[in-house]
Amino acid sequence: MKRSALLAAAAALYLATAWMVAPGFYDGFAPPQPYNFVCPPPQAGANSAPASGQLVIKVINGVSDANSAFTDDGQVVIGFLPGAFDVTGKTSVKVDITPVSPCPKPAGLHFSTNTYQIAADAPLIKSSTLVMRYSNLVADPSFMYRADTVDGPWKPIEVSAQAQVWTIDSKTDKFGYFAAGYPQGAVSTGGGGGSQILPVTIAILIVLVLVGGVPMTILRRRQARSGNAGEDDEEEA
Amino acid sequence: MSTAPFAAVPALVLGGVALALTAWRWPADKLGLGTSRLAFRVLGGLALAVVLLLPAAARLSAIPILAPALAVAAVAVSVGEEIAFRGALFAALEEAGGGPPAVIGSTALWTAAHALSHPPAFLVTVAAAGLLLGLWRLACRDLVAPIIGHVIADLAL
Repeated sequence: MKRSALLAAAAALYLATAWMVAPGFYDGFAPPQPYNFVCPPPQAGANSAPASGQLVIKVINGVSDANSAFTDDGQVVIGFLPGAFDVTGKTSVKVDITPVSPCPKPAGLHFSTNTYQIAADAPLIKSSTLVMRYSNLVADPSFMYRADTVDGPWKPIEVSAQAQVWTIDSKTDKFGYFAAGYPQGAVSTGGGGGSQILPVTIAILIVLVLVGGVPMTILRRRQARSGNAGEDDEEEA
Repeated sequence: MSTAPFAAVPALVLGGVALALTAWRWPADKLGLGTSRLAFRVLGGLALAVVLLLPAAARLSAIPILAPALAVAAVAVSVGEEIAFRGALFAALEEAGGGPPAVIGSTALWTAAHALSHPPAFLVTVAAAGLLLGLWRLACRDLVAPIIGHVIADLAL
């Protein structure tokens, strides 16, 4: 009884602590840190505001240097090749990445990530690599979308082969507004799971534990009783 | 998991194997790996998985389904961690100081090891999970259930 009470107390302690941080138990196969949502979904639990990012790129001998701009929480990274910008008359190029609030909700699209405005004070002349991280609490995005204004129109841009887990990669030769998502009603083509898989799995496990555990407990009690009776018989004999 | 999957998977599998090797020469019963009461151990593992995943199940609208290679890595790492921390380390600490130091010591080192790869916000939960699995190991003299529970939890998250 003491053993069961100790285990129950440990389970309760775990449940209480796990409830305070989404997704709960986590062993490194989910994203490296919780995603910071502008508009957190109900299942996100505690949420921090997403960070912005800023970068000043040097212009050396009339060519912009290679560099990467990223948000402080690492949710967006954009990498620039040498000479990526038209730097006519400039000694440096300033790049800003800003999470957009309120969240745009374009008709027919569902965004899995925050929307970010990426801007610079010089135009791009070479494609740049854009990487957006997404949360494991939402369905995987299938596309990255870009728009010139926050009201759209949103156009899908080519997605590169996934280099890292929980990221979506693309290339862009224009700045603007960026988000990753999928068409409304579409099934995510990434590694994302179905919406009810985990609850159903847990329900099945609970049934298995009950179906297996209850007869096992009854059997053990009967064996214990018959063992005691046997001992009593032996004592009487 | 911020590295490229193709590099990460072999590294994780090797890491899991290396962790499991810490139990080299420990007898199976000292590690809690006996085959007696196997049905009880398996059911215990399923019950531990339910507890570990319950908070996520109550909140998630969608869960990641790991790619097969990552699933193999998840299994290797979780089995390796259990054998190393609640198998060999637990057995050594129990021999040296008894059950409570074994639970506390294995939980503390397991949590410290996760500090290398986890954001601080998750470490309290990792410690609480370690405590639960360690107490099961002590109370039931069993490592099979923590392995099963840990593997299922890692595959789900």
